[in-house]
Amino acid sequence: MTSNIGLISLIISSILSLFILILFFKHVLFGGPLHSKFFALYNASFFLIAVSFVLLVISFVVSDFSIVAVYENSHTDKPFFYKFAGTWGNHEGSMLLFILIISLYGYLFLIFTKQLNFSLRFTTIFFQTSLQFVFLLFLILTSNPFEKIFPIPNQGLGLNPILQDPLLVLHPPFLYLGYVGFSLVFSLLLGGLVTNQYNQNWAGLAKRWIFLPWTFLTFGIGLGSFWAYYELGWGGYWFWDPVENASLMPWIASTALIHSVLVMDKTKKLFNWTAILTILTFVLSLFGTFLVRSGILNSVHAFANDPERGLYILFIISLITLSALVIYILKSAKQTGDENGFILFSREFSIVVNNYLLIFALTVVTIGTTYPILLSVFTEESISVGPQYYNTILAPFVFIFLILMGIGPYMKWNKNSFAINRNKLTSFVLSSLIVTALVSLILKNQNFIFILGVACSLFLIISVVYEFAYFKHIKLKQFNFARLFSHAGFGFLILAITLHYFFSKEFTTKIQLGETSSYQEFAIKFSNYFSKQGKNYQELIGEYEIQKNGEKVILKPSIRKYSHPQQFTSETSIRGEWLSDMYIAMDYTSDASSGIGIRFYYNYSIRLIWLSYILITIGGLLSFVQRKNEK
Amino acid sequence: MKNLLFLLIIFFLYQQDSFALPSQDREVKIYKNIRCLACQGQTLNDSNSDFANDLKKVIKRKLDNNETDQQIYSYLTARYGDWILFNPPVKQSTLLLWFFPVFILVIGLLILYKRTVFGKSKLS
Repeated sequence: MTSNIGLISLIISSILSLFILILFFKHVLFGGPLHSKFFALYNASFFLIAVSFVLLVISFVVSDFSIVAVYENSHTDKPFFYKFAGTWGNHEGSMLLFILIISLYGYLFLIFTKQLNFSLRFTTIFFQTSLQFVFLLFLILTSNPFEKIFPIPNQGLGLNPILQDPLLVLHPPFLYLGYVGFSLVFSLLLGGLVTNQYNQNWAGLAKRWIFLPWTFLTFGIGLGSFWAYYELGWGGYWFWDPVENASLMPWIASTALIHSVLVMDKTKKLFNWTAILTILTFVLSLFGTFLVRSGILNSVHAFANDPERGLYILFIISLITLSALVIYILKSAKQTGDENGFILFSREFSIVVNNYLLIFALTVVTIGTTYPILLSVFTEESISVGPQYYNTILAPFVFIFLILMGIGPYMKWNKNSFAINRNKLTSFVLSSLIVTALVSLILKNQNFIFILGVACSLFLIISVVYEFAYFKHIKLKQFNFARLFSHAGFGFLILAITLHYFFSKEFTTKIQLGETSSYQEFAIKFSNYFSKQGKNYQELIGEYEIQKNGEKVILKPSIRKYSHPQQFTSETSIRGEWLSDMYIAMDYTSDASSGIGIRFYYNYSIRLIWLSYILITIGGLLSFVQRKNEK
Repeated sequence: MKNLLFLLIIFFLYQQDSFALPSQDREVKIYKNIRCLACQGQTLNDSNSDFANDLKKVIKRKLDNNETDQQIYSYLTARYGDWILFNPPVKQSTLLLWFFPVFILVIGLLILYKRTVFGKSKLS
């Protein structure tokens, strides 16, 4: 019953969407006023999608196994929390969430832009509806989340245990609120171009609609990184896995966009570039969905190993990209800003350099992610592109980037302002070098790359702290807290990554019960093990005593055997020590008598990495606090 | 400015022998560059699977025989293909992978140079 209502709401919603598109064309082609219920129809289509989503959630929660998606991905034994999150732990449910978020952004846009020019408002909604319509068709025709199964099974197949984790409840929705959210600024761009309102005011308006999804995306990526750290048991926080890269690509593009739209807002420059970046950001978001959903990649995220769906998505992406480019090419020529060049060492110059470096980073991530796929398609040769590739190419530019992030904000718009800041910048350099020397002495590491990493990130952090501490004549409300927090966050992130890279320790070994294994200053004793029964799994817990410089810590990693589906997972045990972690994961073993393999990691300053993710996210949130001197 | 130079010189004198990357075990460094073919995306170093343990033994033996990294890698790629290495080798089919970013870097720099107004601010 619920499944019927769910599907019917989706169908009515897509009919409404089609109707909205027709109303728009009627108005544009034949004149006459726009239908008075145009926006009301849009809101109705949003509510119908929301209803259908809620019904799917309910079906998962009550384990309605008459629905294929529920049968294949749920089980009555599963804790409530994961029944709920199971809604988006499969292809159909996650695509419905995807559409819900497209629609939600249009709905929010209508709520918050009541004062906006009418034609820009309804044209934007027209484009948002087109996106919603295309994806609704895709959902209903190829991936109906309410598809039924008969006879009704008594029990479901269960959810992949690695996805049964509290963070899974949050990670996908935030990631989607992020990259699907870029659909709105994409529609706003096309709306602006079509109605000839792509100008300085557009930039002021678009800013918010870039910051909002950017903040969600930042937080979502942070959650994913944290989840991978404690759930996968490989000790690291970022693996340059294609699926991670799929979310990083739109993040880099949108970060570039945030900066270029500022230049457009303040100096009437970069009109064309901002338009291209807007299209690129959304297309990369879709491309990420394609990579993850098509089954091309083998990972925990790729639940739909159905090449046909992949082809559909690829077709939709091409269609959307082409239409956007055609509109851009036809309409942008009339709406260009100030074509003058950029004055050396002006604020806008530093932002252009920032965009240049970000595009370079984006190129590296994109080519590293897609090259192995393309190569295997065209030559049947398979290669891997791992962390070393990215680290080798990107590391030197990260250092330059940090310095520029420290200098840029001190530059003035439209003015070469190097001379007036020379003393200030010199003092930043000196103070960061002094602190770096101290750090290097205390930690007894004189490696050149280490010193470079610490010095450059400290330079950025010091420049942020200085701005905050010494501008006493500025009122608190005038501070650009968004920039201060996110830039400081990035400085701390690179500092933490550098420290982590140089001081972390790891070793793998096999120990028998009662034995002790030593590595440098660590001695690990396998002291005990016992088993436990969880709600839908059995657990074998190991007890390890770790001695480090006379201090003793007990860690209890475990192996879980889930019953539905039958699968093993390794649960890590982590104990923090100020900013660092001691971390143990056990290996699955069929024969415990020959000892159990463990992986021990001492993750130096890893908590500073989480902290910097939070700082950057807070920066995004603070962009919504109105500044006093802001328009 | 003089202070800065002075400080820099002191800095470099004091850390002469430190341009190399951290003195990680050569063994671990090799393990980290090798994909555990029996696992999902794990490196040999992070895995205790039978495949990983066997391959580690093979590599260890080769290290004891004083083979170079290059010899070990070519032995592995001859048997398992380039897929097993996380750091892709530079060769004909990977030229674009390594040099396309460089191309973007240069093109970007040219555009940047062309669009920049040098000298004192012309507006003031």
